Amino acid sequence: MMNLQEQIINGKGYAILPIENLNNFNKLRDQFIEKMQSLTNEKRLEKMRLVIANMTKSQINELMISLLAFDQASEILIDSCKNIVKSLSGDKIFLQRRATTIFNIPGDNQRRQWPHYELMSGVSPFTFVLWAPFHDLDDKGGIFYIDLNNSYEMIKEEHKSGIVNGPIILNKDYNEKPAKLKYGEVIVFCPFVLHGNVNFKSDQARIACSARFQSIKKPLLQKNSDFFKFHQI
Amino acid sequence: MSVATVTTDINIGPFKIPSNGQNMIMNNYTQRKNIKVEFVIPEPMMSDQLATTQWCHKDYGFSKVILCSIHQLPKEEKYLNDLINNMSEVEFHFALEGISGAGKFFLLDCSKEAKIFLNAEKLDSSKTDWLELYDLFKSKNL
Repeated sequence: MMNLQEQIINGKGYAILPIENLNNFNKLRDQFIEKMQSLTNEKRLEKMRLVIANMTKSQINELMISLLAFDQASEILIDSCKNIVKSLSGDKIFLQRRATTIFNIPGDNQRRQWPHYELMSGVSPFTFVLWAPFHDLDDKGGIFYIDLNNSYEMIKEEHKSGIVNGPIILNKDYNEKPAKLKYGEVIVFCPFVLHGNVNFKSDQARIACSARFQSIKKPLLQKNSDFFKFHQI
Repeated sequence: MSVATVTTDINIGPFKIPSNGQNMIMNNYTQRKNIKVEFVIPEPMMSDQLATTQWCHKDYGFSKVILCSIHQLPKEEKYLNDLINNMSEVEFHFALEGISGAGKFFLLDCSKEAKIFLNAEKLDSSKTDWLELYDLFKSKNL
């Protein structure tokens, strides 16, 4: 796993890997589907994606808030990728208490993740992110990732103006091709990799899950027990 | 059986939350959990003993006590034990962490976790910048 550390810290800043324990991740997806049944009146993920694609922005927001109660999600995701996490942060970690569920809605003028660095949220430079879709990403949409060197160049450029993660990167056109992930793959990335999602055309929403973690031996920044919990792998 | 929210000193572990903000956090939490609050207990500043809460519990018999954070639990073992002994049957809720439970082991676990966070090294974001944090990432991660 030394290669992974090199790739994340001295290489591109991100890597796409197979989920180690797919059975575990299947359980996470199935629990997610179970919790979503009453909210969408659908039992199958593909149908749910159709329903969610037609929800209003406020309905999506309510959906995301209701899923915060799914507080085992981050542990299940991390435990599906134990070796990845251990190789980056050891076996005693601060783990995001409540995993983030991401709904990307097709079409223009939709809520979306605008380009950002994870560091903007107040996680420490030693925090890493696991992001995994609940289905194949087979349309032209998805999250794009700018490699670490180019991300850093933009941070330096913005830093001269006094605002990082400000208008310069928000107004920039990104022609990056989104990472094509299959179900069963996870992307792991560092907090300095600029990423965001592009508008896309589909009749289905994209659904993914993410969790952040760092070693307990590394310093925290602004996020504390409100965001992280102690977790031993 | 009654439900109480408790405000404490503004300094709550790593956080600085005025009592007005503490009330907003707890009220939002109780609304989301559909918990009806009957008492609002102000603990004195510069104390983390939760002694007022324990005195009130003798009179009113709380079933649930809502706090903002696990960092509001007493730091000293003696005072933590007093709380555990006097309120072992009460369900404690910590709004920021979003966790709840009752009894000795739950409160000891919460206290232990608060100590792990308290002892963790912290970077002061007011004394650094993005470039310095990037240098730390490159130099201290491997």
